[in-house]
Amino acid sequence: MTVAVGDEMTPLDRTVTQDQVNAYADASGDHNPIHLDVDFARSVGLPGTIAHGLLEMGILTEAVARWAGGFDSVVSVSCRFSKPLLPGATITCSGRVTDVDDATGIAGLELSALSSSGDPVLTNGRATVRLPL
Amino acid sequence: MPDASHVGRRYEAPGQVVDGAAAEAFAKAVAGSDDVYAPGVVPPTYAAVYCLFPTLYKLFADAEVGVNLAGLVHGEQSFEWPTPVRGGDVIDASAVITSVEDKRGMTFLTIEHEASRQDGETVCRGRSLMIIR
Repeated sequence: MTVAVGDEMTPLDRTVTQDQVNAYADASGDHNPIHLDVDFARSVGLPGTIAHGLLEMGILTEAVARWAGGFDSVVSVSCRFSKPLLPGATITCSGRVTDVDDATGIAGLELSALSSSGDPVLTNGRATVRLPL
Repeated sequence: MPDASHVGRRYEAPGQVVDGAAAEAFAKAVAGSDDVYAPGVVPPTYAAVYCLFPTLYKLFADAEVGVNLAGLVHGEQSFEWPTPVRGGDVIDASAVITSVEDKRGMTFLTIEHEASRQDGETVCRGRSLMIIR
């Protein structure tokens, strides 16, 4: 794979349902009721339950891995959880190569994710990946 | 509420065993109704389970710091994975409060994480920004 600055990662779309959020709560151990209980979520000023930020980051990391050729190629990922992702919405994760270091074999990307509601749910995203030799 | 006097507090969660079946359930939760991207591989953001939560729950249970969980929002997250985690790995996780700032009537709590494997290799470094409204 030849990688150049400006290359776009293939975007990854995923519709996140409440069932998926419930499964992530069980699998991660994060049972905060803002993710699971509509009445509780509304009582703290949210429009309803919201997906775990780390679930969104898991999908973002998968998008990077799909592009980079596997999870083992992903060195780092970071992002800001800017807006809540509401169950039923589709998240679209995108990225673009910002730097390539041939000496170390590491490429940097900027990442973001949009909700189908139009909200920028993940911003300030960055990743570094190991390029194949 | 957390304040600057809590900077430097450290929380340890030694002996986290990476359970392959639990990691598979986590991967399924991230996939939702899509196929699991890389069956049998521990997803990088499984660091939530072996690195973040075991120490964060100790922090949240620290009555002297007094995090109000009902007002807690995950603001930002970064992860770096120097080497991949595999099922069966035994991991020592630690977290330290590195910054507490009051801004716009909210408290911004920064926590740095590190996780090392049984052979001493660092498998994950992370930084969490928690916002308490």
